[in-house]
Amino acid sequence: MASPPVSQPEGMLPPRSEVGVTGWLHANLFSNWFNSVLTLVSAALLVTGLWFGLKWIFLAADWTVISELGGRFLLGRYNTEAACEGQNCFWRPQAALIMVSVLLGAAWGLRGNRVARAVAWLVAGVSAAFAFLPYNLATMGLDVRILLLLNLPAVPLGWALAKYTPLGTGTRVTILGVAIFFITLILLRGLPGLPFLQPVSVVYWGGLSLNLILAVGGITLSLPIGIALALGRRSNLPVVKVLCVFFIEVFRGVPLITLLFMSQTLVPLAFPEDMPQNSLFRAAVVITLFSSAYMAENIRGGLQALHPGQAEAARALGLPGWQTTMLISLPQAIRNVIPAIVGQFIGLFKDTSLVYIIGMLDVVAIGRSFIQSNPEYLPSARELFVFLAAVFWIFTYGMSYISGKVEDYMGVGRR
Amino acid sequence: MDSASRLLTYQGIPVWRHVQIIQWAVQIVSGILVVALVVWFFSNMVGAIQDRDIPSGFSFLSREYQTPIGEHFIPYESSDTFLYALLVGITNTAIVAVAGVFLATALGIFIGVSRLSSNWIVSKLAMVYIEFFRNVPLLVQLFFWFYIVLELPAIRESFVVADAFYLSNRGFSMPWPKATEYSVAVIWLGLAAVAIVAGWLVYRRQARMEEQTGRSGYPLIYSFATALVIGAIAWLILSFAGGSSPFYISMPEPQGRFGNIVGGFTARAGLLVLLTGLVMYTASFIAEIVRAGIQSVGRGQTEAARALGLSPMSTLRSVTFPQAMRVIIPPLISQFLNLTKNSSLGGAVAYSDLTNIAVTMTQTAPAVSIFMLIMASYLAMSLTWSLIGNLYNRHIRFVGG
Repeated sequence: MASPPVSQPEGMLPPRSEVGVTGWLHANLFSNWFNSVLTLVSAALLVTGLWFGLKWIFLAADWTVISELGGRFLLGRYNTEAACEGQNCFWRPQAALIMVSVLLGAAWGLRGNRVARAVAWLVAGVSAAFAFLPYNLATMGLDVRILLLLNLPAVPLGWALAKYTPLGTGTRVTILGVAIFFITLILLRGLPGLPFLQPVSVVYWGGLSLNLILAVGGITLSLPIGIALALGRRSNLPVVKVLCVFFIEVFRGVPLITLLFMSQTLVPLAFPEDMPQNSLFRAAVVITLFSSAYMAENIRGGLQALHPGQAEAARALGLPGWQTTMLISLPQAIRNVIPAIVGQFIGLFKDTSLVYIIGMLDVVAIGRSFIQSNPEYLPSARELFVFLAAVFWIFTYGMSYISGKVEDYMGVGRR
Repeated sequence: MDSASRLLTYQGIPVWRHVQIIQWAVQIVSGILVVALVVWFFSNMVGAIQDRDIPSGFSFLSREYQTPIGEHFIPYESSDTFLYALLVGITNTAIVAVAGVFLATALGIFIGVSRLSSNWIVSKLAMVYIEFFRNVPLLVQLFFWFYIVLELPAIRESFVVADAFYLSNRGFSMPWPKATEYSVAVIWLGLAAVAIVAGWLVYRRQARMEEQTGRSGYPLIYSFATALVIGAIAWLILSFAGGSSPFYISMPEPQGRFGNIVGGFTARAGLLVLLTGLVMYTASFIAEIVRAGIQSVGRGQTEAARALGLSPMSTLRSVTFPQAMRVIIPPLISQFLNLTKNSSLGGAVAYSDLTNIAVTMTQTAPAVSIFMLIMASYLAMSLTWSLIGNLYNRHIRFVGG
């Protein structure tokens, strides 16, 4: 039944101060005298902050330190003559980057997701844009520029692979991702015996790529290790439980820096002398274990918050214990703590900057050592660290943005 | 059933499918694996120590350290022992941790409440603060502040506020109470502690009276008055007996040709940078915790309180806040712990915290022993924070709920 049309008598309209722009201003900025004062004070603060900030960024700041460092921000000393004697290894990180573009394209093709598409094109687009930097800003040869441009066709290639070939399932793309990570490591490290893959010592690895390698390796491994530790801590087997509690509490109770120092001074002593030693590998293991101890506590929180009825119902339906855990408890627990897990991933990415303390040349260390060895750039330290903060911020904020999208997709807090 | 498979059954179930046996086997195997791994590491380490003649043991602790320490709050000289130098490191870390926790909590609550403000600009400014400081590595922030402090004017051209606060690239100086005579000051501090206990007893008595009779007991006013009166009387008596007051306010003053600042309390550049960085960084996390805690209290709670006639202030104080505290305290404590551990970055900005001093020590003393000592110190600090958190948690948890 259609409701009779309601005629709105004139004079019943809401007052003009409650609707539209004025209404919004009234409700959000000037609802009472205290709020009005607050608005004026913070607006003044904002305007002065913006005025001086923008003036500094565009007029006062001297950004030559950034262009002076250029590619070293991304690759550290990898491209230098000392790293690969008598050979060109510039193409190795570029090839790895192209593989990453293919992978991102495949992730986009898998679900046709808008965020995945945006990320893939952003990475490829920025890489390709580097190819067009004028020669006086970036001393790259034509070969490097062509390799950078190849990132653009790599994205649709990955998309097509995921869309039209048997590769296009979630598991296979994940396997492809892990494979690409290891191929990248091999490419950068080199293989003894192969003339075109001359070994490059890890002391020459550096820059943002080092942070990213540590972060990607740590993120992929800390989640499964954390899950195992969380399950171990909740298990009713006393020996397993005690071991997991001990591991988690020790790693959570000590600063990461102390652990990193130990990994460089004590851990080598704990292995036989003739075993090959790799300081970067040890640092990566410590960062991963540190992060997985925190991850374990996050996942334990998720498991604890789960209603016991879920597991009881699964057992009542006849699922064995491990299937109850893997199919019923864990998926729900993990979904519920996605924000905490991503928070830990972000923390891990930020923590990769700490390898500076043990003398590795990550992106922070590259910048700082440049300033220390070239005192004429000392006044530019502010510009340098503002730039570094922006670089880290883009990655970490991107991660929390994607996490928000994943939460929406999985219905966190809605079911 | 043939005899071989009957041998492998227990309680009529084959052993490889008997839950209890599998569980025991898993435990024994994992236990043996871990023990074997530890023994292997340990024997390798002992072998390396013997082969390469690496010093070990704890006898170094009573040797003279013979290395200057940049910043120390308890008297220290190079002729002091390693053990004492480690103690200096622990106090340095503890001072940063305690000062940082207070400042970060204050700033974090301020920003968290601003984030919930109904004022659009204030809320967005708080959001920008949180999103920026939370997402940038602490090390980058510390270096940023480090170079900002470097660019401050030299000590002779310090920024001066009211002839009492001095800010230069050497650090920040401010007035600070100092003991006139050590013994008198200690006596007064003891009496002040007595005054606080007395105030607390009065608070409990008045609160119980209020609860039982329904008449206003003004517990806060009475308890503060008691503590203040006792403290003031003690102060006056000691002043008359000793001829001077137990404490005086020492003012920082530039002296000599170089304008070095004497008197007051000076936070040197390293401490200033570390504290600024830690406080700004941790406050962004605390702000989010405070916001989540306040939002976790159901709207119905506030509405019910208002319907019962409580004023907005009373609603906040007796209904919203106590419930929010339950949600806020556990993650807040873990932020305090994080701040304490993050203070180990002090070495990067020229502050001699525990990790920095200990790592310097490894050049002249056995690394194995030193790392065992620092791990034990940090674990003790973590346990202290957890203990405080658990005690408070027990105090505020649901009773009979």
